[in-house]
Amino acid sequence: MLIVKDIKKKFVRLKKSGEKEEFYADNGISFEAKEGEIVGILGPNGAGKTTLLRMIATLLEPTSGSIELDDLKYPKDAIEIKKKIAYLSGNTKIYPSLTPYEMLKMCATFYGIINGVEKRIKEISELLEMSTFLYNRIENLSTGQTQKVNIARCLIHNPKYYILDEATSGLDIISSQIILDFIKSEKAKGKIILYSTHYMEEAENICDKVILINKGKVIKSGTPNDIKKDTNTTNLRDAFFTLMEDYHAK
Amino acid sequence: MQNNILNVLKKEIREMFRDKKSLAMMLIIPILIPFIVLGMSALFEMQVNLDISEYNKIGFNYTLSETEQEIINTLEIDPTIATEEELKEKYNNEEINLYILKNDNNYTIYGNDNEITTLSSILAESYLNQYKEYLQGKYLETSQVDPNDVLNIITIQKEITASDTFFASYIINYAFLFIIMAITVSATYPATDTTAGEKERGTLETLLTFPIKSRDIIIGKFLSVSLSSIITGVLSLLLACLSLVAANHIFTIYEGMNLMLSPPAFIFSLLVIIAYSFLISGLCIAIASRAKTFKEAQSALTPITFISFFPGMIAFMTGITSNLVLSIVPFVNFTLIFTDISNGNFNYLQIFLLIISTIIYIALVLYVIIKNYKSEKVLFNA
Repeated sequence: MLIVKDIKKKFVRLKKSGEKEEFYADNGISFEAKEGEIVGILGPNGAGKTTLLRMIATLLEPTSGSIELDDLKYPKDAIEIKKKIAYLSGNTKIYPSLTPYEMLKMCATFYGIINGVEKRIKEISELLEMSTFLYNRIENLSTGQTQKVNIARCLIHNPKYYILDEATSGLDIISSQIILDFIKSEKAKGKIILYSTHYMEEAENICDKVILINKGKVIKSGTPNDIKKDTNTTNLRDAFFTLMEDYHAK
Repeated sequence: MQNNILNVLKKEIREMFRDKKSLAMMLIIPILIPFIVLGMSALFEMQVNLDISEYNKIGFNYTLSETEQEIINTLEIDPTIATEEELKEKYNNEEINLYILKNDNNYTIYGNDNEITTLSSILAESYLNQYKEYLQGKYLETSQVDPNDVLNIITIQKEITASDTFFASYIINYAFLFIIMAITVSATYPATDTTAGEKERGTLETLLTFPIKSRDIIIGKFLSVSLSSIITGVLSLLLACLSLVAANHIFTIYEGMNLMLSPPAFIFSLLVIIAYSFLISGLCIAIASRAKTFKEAQSALTPITFISFFPGMIAFMTGITSNLVLSIVPFVNFTLIFTDISNGNFNYLQIFLLIISTIIYIALVLYVIIKNYKSEKVLFNA
């Protein structure tokens, strides 16, 4: 189980005048995610989604608040948490000069997997239909094939938690579907998935729970149906705009 | 921890050896070293063995007296007598190397400043001085004074022995400066690529998701860049030694000398090269890891290339010799101690100080890198 309690992240930015200004990318966010749940993190650009997911993925340290995965606490147990997590975002690229096989083998060594690596690579390769390009350099693969390799590297250590930040952003319909199918199959295995996206329809279709963020704060959370009901809307997109209007009206 | 460093090192090495640019940076300057050694040796030989017929054609706008003719014959000058205009034309057509114009008792030497004219000018001045001495002697004789009493009022004797090893020291020192340069160039590219480049390509964020401490990542990267520099350094040293041996056989200026480094000199040179490789790799990583982009890192590292090369070069050109204090001054110490080693002077205390001070500098640089590499500012420009 993932428990995020009142986490805040402060950054410093330079104003046009040259002065330094402190601001909170995330300002007191709390939520929980249980086994077999897909939690959608939604919000406009600059809402604080990526910062939130990077903190949960142990890439950034919260200014305050706590993150717990099972009995592990961040930042104390950062290395152990990383072993349970797979983080995939638009920014996590893979090494173009390696082959998918080399990439997966390298990932396995980083996760300390010594036994059964070949078998695991074979399983993943069959699952994601990668056998035809397993030994081709990644730089020569198509976007869809590269995305499959990126997913494969997330699967190599059989993580319990998936953190997917805009993972389908900029991908064509086939590549996006690869990721969506993967998310559904992992949910069926009882994994916990945090999923951030701009695509409301996508979130509505696959998320069990949705957290809407704006300017670093949660403006609404619940199941897609509850949110639609509370906002008197028929889809998550309209619900989002209604909530944003309410937020600005306040 | 050690396994993770090793895993990062393996990953970096694989990437480095598959990247054509990294390989080119590792090999380009070492490959140039034999051309530099042999080319410079050929140039020295040409200068030393320049035939007098290349620079003895001197023009005169006056008729030479019998005495002048004798002096000119002794100095092997090939004279051309013509008018001022004709001499100018001949000089422009490179038929003569320079010309002398006489106006009453004033003699003026004309020519453009270049290597040949310098040699011709020495000949011309020699002729004029000898002729002046002859005229002074004649004058004193007519004044019933013994010319020897006046002209040789003091006597000067030259006891300066020409250094046989001048060219050898010169070429060996330059070869080492190029080895230093090769190592620096070899460190800058992979250091940029593995830090700022990896950040820009988005693979650093992937690497940080693995259960590895950022300290292990940066040490792995540091070791890979050091390895690249050491490969370049060792290759450069081997090629420099081979080309020095070849030059020793080909060129007469090195006749009777042994340009080959002795086995102890080779081993100590190797030690200096390895120490330098670690230091420069650490510095390059420290600078490049703070850059946001590959371009920014490249710009930030440009001064390092000069800083690594110039202090040694200046020390060598100004004739500064090694001492205890200089043996702990980074960059200068490598060149000075290598000069000593190549000359067969093994000052063990200075070598020890160089190694110890370099280890301290590397430790300091690594401390700064490890501390900075945990920073979100460095990793995410946050």
